[in-house]
Amino acid sequence: MVAAVRAAAVAIFLACAWGSAAEARSLTVDIGRLTHPQLRAEELQMRLDGAGGAQLRAARLAVEAQAVDAVALECAHLSLVDDRLRCVDGRLEAAGMLLGDALQLAADLARQDLRVDARLAGGGQLTVEVAEAARLRARLEALPLAAVHAYWPQLAQWQVSGSVDGGLELSAAAAQWSVQVRELAFGSADGLQAAEGVALSLQGGGEAAAQGWHWRGALAWTAGEAYLHPLYLTAGARSSANGRMVDGVLHVDALSAHLEGVERIDARGRYDLRAQVLEELALSVSMADLAVIGPRYLAPVLLPAQADGLIFAGHASGGVVIEHGELQAIDLAVDAAGLSLADGALAFGPVSGALPWRAALPTRIVLDVGGGRWQKLALGAFTVDARAHGGEVVLEALRIPLLDGALAFSDLRLQRREDGWHGGGSVVVEPIAMPLLSVALGMPEMAGVLSASLPGLRVDPGEIVLDGALVVSVFDGYLMVTGLRVREPFGVASHLVADIDARNIDLAQLTETFSFGSVSGHVDAHLLGLELVRWRPVRFDARVASSPGRYPRRISQRAVQNIGALGGAGAMAAIQRSLLGFFDSFGYREIGLSCVLRAGVCVMGGLDQRPGGGYALVRGGGIPALNVIGYNRRVDWHELVDRLQRVIASNAAPEIR
Amino acid sequence: MKIHAMLRAALAALFLAFAGVAAAQGNLEINTPAITALQQSMQQRHAQLAPLYASGAVGLARDGTVALRDASSVPLAQRGQINGLIAAENADRAALYREIARANGHPEWEADVRATFAQRWIDRAQPGWWVQGGGGWVKK
Amino acid sequence: MRHTLRLSLLAAMLAVSTACVTINIYFPAAAAEKAADRIIDEVWQLREGAAAQPANGERQ
Repeated sequence: MVAAVRAAAVAIFLACAWGSAAEARSLTVDIGRLTHPQLRAEELQMRLDGAGGAQLRAARLAVEAQAVDAVALECAHLSLVDDRLRCVDGRLEAAGMLLGDALQLAADLARQDLRVDARLAGGGQLTVEVAEAARLRARLEALPLAAVHAYWPQLAQWQVSGSVDGGLELSAAAAQWSVQVRELAFGSADGLQAAEGVALSLQGGGEAAAQGWHWRGALAWTAGEAYLHPLYLTAGARSSANGRMVDGVLHVDALSAHLEGVERIDARGRYDLRAQVLEELALSVSMADLAVIGPRYLAPVLLPAQADGLIFAGHASGGVVIEHGELQAIDLAVDAAGLSLADGALAFGPVSGALPWRAALPTRIVLDVGGGRWQKLALGAFTVDARAHGGEVVLEALRIPLLDGALAFSDLRLQRREDGWHGGGSVVVEPIAMPLLSVALGMPEMAGVLSASLPGLRVDPGEIVLDGALVVSVFDGYLMVTGLRVREPFGVASHLVADIDARNIDLAQLTETFSFGSVSGHVDAHLLGLELVRWRPVRFDARVASSPGRYPRRISQRAVQNIGALGGAGAMAAIQRSLLGFFDSFGYREIGLSCVLRAGVCVMGGLDQRPGGGYALVRGGGIPALNVIGYNRRVDWHELVDRLQRVIASNAAPEIR
Repeated sequence: MKIHAMLRAALAALFLAFAGVAAAQGNLEINTPAITALQQSMQQRHAQLAPLYASGAVGLARDGTVALRDASSVPLAQRGQINGLIAAENADRAALYREIARANGHPEWEADVRATFAQRWIDRAQPGWWVQGGGGWVKK
Repeated sequence: MRHTLRLSLLAAMLAVSTACVTINIYFPAAAAEKAADRIIDEVWQLREGAAAQPANGERQ
């Protein structure tokens, strides 16, 4: 700016030279080149038309690295009286475009002051005053931002609108500035970055120091809304900062920001304006209220698909370090943080601990988890002690208490790749008492123990494979679950696949537990390709048959009636109905039942095929003998489950039709 | 002798190849509970997505996903929700492609299933919807 | 003898590799297209009453 003033002085000096040659109708002075450390004008030319008007032209005007072609200042009337220079009704052009008109310029050469008023081409008013040699004051009023498009074509695609007022006071050693932006709106072509009705207020100042400048500034966002993909933001943020400007490097020595839901945000950094490199940035966020920050800033970035269903709690603090444009470190500390799904299927918390990450070094993550919930199961308190290195997380051991047992993971390695997390390890389910588990799952209390050894845990996007066996000792026998796979664990298609092999299940305990009358004896069962969606079976090939061996085989009248009730109106049960009234229980030789469940229909089968489409479910033996024969081959699964629940719930003899 | 052995080997290979073809011919299994659940979830979401396809805010991408193409017509406050809607739809679509490959016993077909769907979504898009071709977005 | 052995080994390898490649590469494109169309019909509700607005009757 000082340079500009000096340039103006040169022009004025030339104007003085013309004063004595007023008779000429027109005078053109070619000045050629004008140079100054910060300013350069090429092919500078002045033309006086004799009617009081004047033109000053430069083929190229460069201030520092910025250059403009074809700059021209025209004055309808130019006068110089007693050191007072006046340009009335002037216009300023650059690159063939009008920058401003209605320009009034008044300068006192003796006092070295200058005042310029101009109406800018796109709208708005500019006033520049220079007083006492190098003291400059400028005001810009109501500049429509749309006008900026003409000079800054890159901005045109952002469709910027709004208006700006600004003020600048500049002296050799200090500067004060303020900018008010009103009704700012912009939008990228794809609508991913956009704002509406934004009001911003910026204020700042600076002083020349031994090296460069010291500056300070404050920014407040007072109105409007913005969408900066994927975040929707509303007004309210404020920040203030100070720093230095040395050799083209912007130093931010201290920046503090206020954002709703965060106690403090601090930052400092260094930005090389010439190389456009963020040399250093250290940002810290203290005590962010996750209930506020989570839905606004975390969910849209981390889990956009579930954003509506996530509930956050607790507090977090964190820090980020960037050096030479590269992310070097992240530190995150959580305090009593909680995360849960709105449908209650999964919840963790309170979680406290630290999650550090370094670009080049392994770090240790320690989190104390107060508990959790998975479906109907409450998880006990546990500690996550993991090592993170680059994109890999390693957990040597993780023990999550579950009722009186635990899920013990070991050597768990997870790698973050483009399509999600991959990895594996092994998991052991330490014995869990079935009475506790069955009650927790809302089932009748069952005796026994559940345990598992699953050495082949593998995690891929869309699938968790648990190779190994889960064993439940229950009803005097055991159930072995193999080929466990959880597919699409997160989403509507979430389902579990497994094969179950049950041996020697004591029917007396089973039927007593489920209040199904009384059947003595043992059965083996095989469920192949069992598929559970939301814990309900949707597909399996099941076969239940009496276990081999010698043991008492009796079936109570109640149980027979219940089996009959299960068959429904269409099912024919108990061929010796007339005898039913006389005996409490009946002997049997064999029980056999198969069900192939597909698309909600169970295709039933029994011990054998009988003429007329029937199949034996219970083959009689002993005295009195009883055969139970089914006729319905296709049974609606939901109906069957409903009936079973009704039979169990009624706990009384259901009607037999 | 040598030629005979080679011929036999080639013939065996040919047989094996045809066996593979024959076994896989016919319909793909898509009637699994997981695929049905995904289909229903996507069908329900379609009520919200259809107007966005029609307005051009959301388009059908080449990789079998949906993408935010031009959100300019959507109020700012709702752009985040649309982003969530798109993320949910794409999660379902990824699961659908994986499930179809899995349901047919060939998890490695996932990419082929995805490519086939990508083409069919685009081919069957309604007039006025935006689809992504080799040269960028075009309106059908 | 050794020559024959080597050749037959080569032939066997060729056979195995051909077989493997065939099985891996083969993808029932036509069936997949048919499956895709059926699912698209469902999701976009294009079959029967395509004119009817699908949005209205939808249960949430």
